[in-house]
Amino acid sequence: MTTPTSIELVLDCNSLSAQFRTASGPIQVLHDISLTLKPCTALGIVGESGAGKSMLIKTIMGLGPAGMQVSGHISLAGTDLSSMNERRRRQFLGAKVGMVFQNPMTSLNPFVRIGRQIEEASRYYLKLGKADAKALAVDLLGSVGIPDATDCYDHFPHQFSGGMKQRIMIATALACQPELLIADEATTALDVTVQKGILDLLQILQSKRRMSMILVTHNLGIVAGRTDEILVLYGGHVVEHGPTDVVFANPRHRYTEALLGAMPRIDQPAHTTLRTIPGRPPDPANPAPGCPFAPRCPAAEGRCHSSMPPMTVSGDGAHRFACYVPVSTHPSDFRPMAPAVATGAEQ
Amino acid sequence: MTAAAPDAAIRARPKTARLRLPRGQFFEWFACLFLIVLLISTMLVDFIPGLVRPNFPYGDFSQPPEWSLNGLLGTDALGRSILSRVLHGGRTSLAIVAVATALSLSLGMILGMLAGFYRGALERVVDLYTNTMSALPPVLVLLALISVAGNSVPTMMLALGILDIGTYARIAKGGVIAQNDRDYVMAARAMGASDRRLLMREILPNLIPTLTAIVPPLMAGLMITEGSLSFLGYGIPSPAPSWGGMIASSTDLLDRFPILILGPILAIVLTVYCLNTVGDSLAKRINDRGREIAG
Amino acid sequence: MRTAQFSYLKALGVRLAAGIPVFIVVTFLATSLSSLVPGSAAQLILGDNASPEQIDALNARYGYDRPVLARYLDWLIKLMHGDLGKTLFSQQSVAELLFDRAVVTFEIAVLAMIVSLLIGVTLAMYSASRPGGIVDSCLHAVSSIMLSIPTFVIVVLLGYIFAIVLRWLPATGWVSFAQDPIGNLHYVALPVMCLSVHQSAYFYRVSRSEFAAILQEDYVMVARAKGLPMRYILTRHALRPALPQILTVIGLSMTYLLGGSFIVESYFAVPGIGWTVLNSVGTHDFPVMQAILSLTVVIFVVIFALVDLGYAWIDPRVKIS
Repeated sequence: MTTPTSIELVLDCNSLSAQFRTASGPIQVLHDISLTLKPCTALGIVGESGAGKSMLIKTIMGLGPAGMQVSGHISLAGTDLSSMNERRRRQFLGAKVGMVFQNPMTSLNPFVRIGRQIEEASRYYLKLGKADAKALAVDLLGSVGIPDATDCYDHFPHQFSGGMKQRIMIATALACQPELLIADEATTALDVTVQKGILDLLQILQSKRRMSMILVTHNLGIVAGRTDEILVLYGGHVVEHGPTDVVFANPRHRYTEALLGAMPRIDQPAHTTLRTIPGRPPDPANPAPGCPFAPRCPAAEGRCHSSMPPMTVSGDGAHRFACYVPVSTHPSDFRPMAPAVATGAEQ
Repeated sequence: MTAAAPDAAIRARPKTARLRLPRGQFFEWFACLFLIVLLISTMLVDFIPGLVRPNFPYGDFSQPPEWSLNGLLGTDALGRSILSRVLHGGRTSLAIVAVATALSLSLGMILGMLAGFYRGALERVVDLYTNTMSALPPVLVLLALISVAGNSVPTMMLALGILDIGTYARIAKGGVIAQNDRDYVMAARAMGASDRRLLMREILPNLIPTLTAIVPPLMAGLMITEGSLSFLGYGIPSPAPSWGGMIASSTDLLDRFPILILGPILAIVLTVYCLNTVGDSLAKRINDRGREIAG
Repeated sequence: MRTAQFSYLKALGVRLAAGIPVFIVVTFLATSLSSLVPGSAAQLILGDNASPEQIDALNARYGYDRPVLARYLDWLIKLMHGDLGKTLFSQQSVAELLFDRAVVTFEIAVLAMIVSLLIGVTLAMYSASRPGGIVDSCLHAVSSIMLSIPTFVIVVLLGYIFAIVLRWLPATGWVSFAQDPIGNLHYVALPVMCLSVHQSAYFYRVSRSEFAAILQEDYVMVARAKGLPMRYILTRHALRPALPQILTVIGLSMTYLLGGSFIVESYFAVPGIGWTVLNSVGTHDFPVMQAILSLTVVIFVVIFALVDLGYAWIDPRVKIS
């Protein structure tokens, strides 16, 4: 199995853990997360609410709440981020990473014209002059599909609908021609019909501008067909990671299987009862020992409840999962990962 | 519970809450204590053994503070005990402010409740009153009234009482209007409760916390207005002692005996500060309770 | 653009018209002041030793024996012509007198407002950028204390420090800006300083809490995610949303500034409106009191109307009605 060297990777996280202190003791929200992102690749990060998706993004970007303790390595395009303090990190990432957040209604400052909000990063980082910045902003507005871009440049956010506001946010994220675009639940707050438009736009922009993209969502339907790889998080752990089509066709972790099973499908007969996953997401303040999904898992065994399953990897190394009782008809296809790269919960 | 919950909870708690907590408690208790001590010592000033009368020149002129009962804050230009004058003046000021507040509060509450309940012309009149009062500086209104009636303690009580009627009315009115649609009001109405019963039994109790919370700061405002008028010579008529008057008369001696001004200044600043602090903490407690109930 | 300006003027007109009831109430009450006197107003003015002829003469001149309504209408008519009557004792035109004095008070008020805004808002921005820090806690305590000290105490203390101890500034007196700009600055310094103490504390408090709330907003998080420096975020993204509340305080401070002018002008012997009122109280100079009350009402109605319009101007979401 060949591991891409750090220089080629857009993003490289190694054993990333994060916890923050509360009055009742430390709460760990991320456990030993490792992921890599190659150039021009789209990665989907999926999981339930509370699984740690947004916290992962915030940790990488340096937007976490104050007082968070982070361990592990993060590097972006070869530069090590872990040694930077939060302010330096935000400054470094501002030009390299564009973020689109969940709520377009509150992500734009209602008192400032959108033209300015789009171009301000470019004026700060790329040192563009007023005219150049305006041209850039108008151009970006055009590429995200806002009509009459030159007029709209002077408008205020309240003059646009939710979907258009999200497009404006995308334009804002692209102002400095970032290498990586992160969409954190970018479509969750939008109508379904509008969602498709935004997702298509993101896909087009990603390929046109040759960026890498991370789509964070709890909705598997969004990542199908739009991402190259998918990372499944549960309870702050990586439970499965692999090429999207492979994971969809052959989910290995029980949680992934349940998630896929819960998706409504167009080819199901009408009025089919939706399958749900019984139970509730784990409470980060009281983590159960062992696999975080074990309390809800239909196939859980004894050892699932007592120790954390190690990462197992498929033949070509692209598909990995952490489960003692994976979904599989050919267990011989799989072998445990080499200890140096294993998620080390087996103490 | 969303992934955003831990950090949203952290974000939602305002950062300023952190810097309040350790010192807040101490100041609140100190303020309450001070006000109680002030109230008791001024009300019972006539019974303090050994304390001379306020207008009696018992000692030498302009003596600095010494460690005796009468000389604790020194003597003024006429040899009178500053401590005695401060306590007596405090009694007068507190009495004026208390009566004025009682007046404003009761009238304002009644007017506000009626205006909020019946709306219509009464509401417009109350609004007009409130707007008019807020457009005029209190000192100006009082001076106008004093130019007609002369300055005396009853005039002050009445005049100060007029000032805040509008504020109490506005708060009461707002509280009533907010409750008009609530379930318990509609339920009581459906059971055939009379208007008067509704107002007194259902609505009024819910107004009390908010009204109570604004009484201390408004009293502080009245104390400042009374003090300002006494300072200007149009407040409590001399030779009766008043804090404002004492400050005004000591300004002549400032260059030679600056320390003598300490007594009345400390008195009024501490009183106002403690009233404001108590008001702040009451308001905070009410807000917290409201937030608990709302969930 | 022209239609926008026109709608602002129309909105201003509407608000000013809404202030007319208040104006009528106050001016009517001001006129009836002299009728509230127990006994005869003329008697009060002239004193106990006045002869009946003197009283009659005064009444003939000023009409204190006529019904209030008639006097009020008279006054209104005269007002239309710009005549506010004459002062009781020096027979000076009230309108002229007021104008001269108003300029002085206006100068002090405007300067105090500007100084307080600058101090209060910039300190609030600094505190907001380092919440919970030493400066933040100290300023919070200091502003509490400053707000609890009555203006007349501030006046005495600052007068003591600057005029008596340090001797940097004159204790009393006034020279107009037109006559002597430098001297004027000397005389205006203490009054402005005294009024600014409360004002800056007030602006600081309000701005600080506004900034605290604004910095929690999503759009600020977006700006931080972009890596923009804190100073930029404060001035470009936080200041504007805070303006409506600051504008409210500006409107409310007019009450304080006018009220404070009584004390400040009296103590520092500055010939402004406040000083004029004080003089007329003792002499029961009703025409002057009436005129000043009316002027005050007009000023406040105008200012509240402007503040209201200011909200619409600052906040792009607000439409003028």
